[in-house]
Amino acid sequence: MPVIVTHGLKGGAGTTFTAAHIAMALSEAGADVTVLTVAKRDTMPLHFGLQPAMTLPSLFAPAEDAVLVAGIDLRSLTTAPEDNDFVPALRDLGFLETGQDKVMVIDIPSAEFAFARRVIPHASASVCVINAAPDTLALMPQVLAEASPENIAATSFVINALDETRRLSRHSSAFIRELVGARLLGRIRLDESVPEAIAMLQQLSKYAPSSAALADAKAIGTALVPALETPGRPWVARGSSPASSSSRAA
Amino acid sequence: MRIDARNLLDRLGKNDFAYKEFEDRFSELELWPILEALLRDPRLQAIDQAEATVAAMPEPAPTEVVETYSGESLSSLFSRYGRGPAADAPGDRRGGSQQQDVRAMLRHLSDLGSQGKI
Ligand SMILES: Nc1ncnc2c1ncn2[C@@H]1O[C@H](COP(=O)(O)OP(=O)(O)OP(=O)(O)O)[C@@H](O)[C@H]1O
Ligand SMILES: [Mg+2]
Repeated sequence: MPVIVTHGLKGGAGTTFTAAHIAMALSEAGADVTVLTVAKRDTMPLHFGLQPAMTLPSLFAPAEDAVLVAGIDLRSLTTAPEDNDFVPALRDLGFLETGQDKVMVIDIPSAEFAFARRVIPHASASVCVINAAPDTLALMPQVLAEASPENIAATSFVINALDETRRLSRHSSAFIRELVGARLLGRIRLDESVPEAIAMLQQLSKYAPSSAALADAKAIGTALVPALETPGRPWVARGSSPASSSSRAA
Repeated sequence: MRIDARNLLDRLGKNDFAYKEFEDRFSELELWPILEALLRDPRLQAIDQAEATVAAMPEPAPTEVVETYSGESLSSLFSRYGRGPAADAPGDRRGGSQQQDVRAMLRHLSDLGSQGKI
């Protein structure tokens, strides 16, 4: 039961959105997926087309209380960031092993970076979601200085909400690409249909099947499938030749 | 997505759409001072050290990267700045190696742009 951690460098980067779609892509690839949200103010249910009043059941709640959307088990544990026994508890529940039978996607709000730091060494993949924006870039040196070399090495990056019509956005994205190199998993384009689907209380795949952000996020989730098979150490995007890049939009 | 846009994409048989602007003329642009400031920050080098850690890890993991990338380390990028004709092109009033470095980076971005990678 491998764990995939998603975290953001700055609030509002789209980590929760990306985590939801990674979970959906892994589920479509045949994995049995649990999503764990640790946010005290949680918007995860909205990405699954659920009502705003929805509160997710605890990770430890019995199976009959489960909220399942398209086979994905949605759970919450707001105490996890302060709980030093969280990682042992995960291990007791049978997570932290490899294989597709059971996968957990943990969505960590950007403010809980200390918690992310503790969980990443146990994860099969660590995905850091960033925006191609100057204020996000400005935080990169501090974030890199604070993280351990092992955690940096274990982390793959996703650029979210990329607006290719904006010069600064393109330049910032090129800067990030140069900086993180092979560990860039891909980019998700800025797409109005993301908030619109939330407003419609629908899953993005239902509301806007041709959404650019949907296609991009799905490609990123699919790219993470190999991560489920790396026993005992974090999987890292190591890149390939540009020719093997398949999902770039025309 | 607006219904008319969606209908158009359906008619075109496309399921997504990426806007591509004309190539930017980086060489005619003032640089973004934030990029210059970041390039001066030694803490960014941590990502290169991490690169070495990855390289030292046993047995490469399977890989499937969605996006193209240069595969270059930051240090090799740094070391390339300032080389080439544009660094001392007439009309570069700035002088100083740091500015030249950023000019070179912008030139590099321009190359990426012309290769359709931006
Ligand atoms: N690709 C996208 N295009 C358009 N809007 C997006 C995109 N991705 C995310 N959003 C919107 O951006 C907002 C912030 O996203 P999200 O809640 O995922 O941020 P977050 O990174 O989880 O923030 P935090 O770290 O504070 O938890 C949401 O309103 C979401 O709908
Ligand atoms: Mg969030």
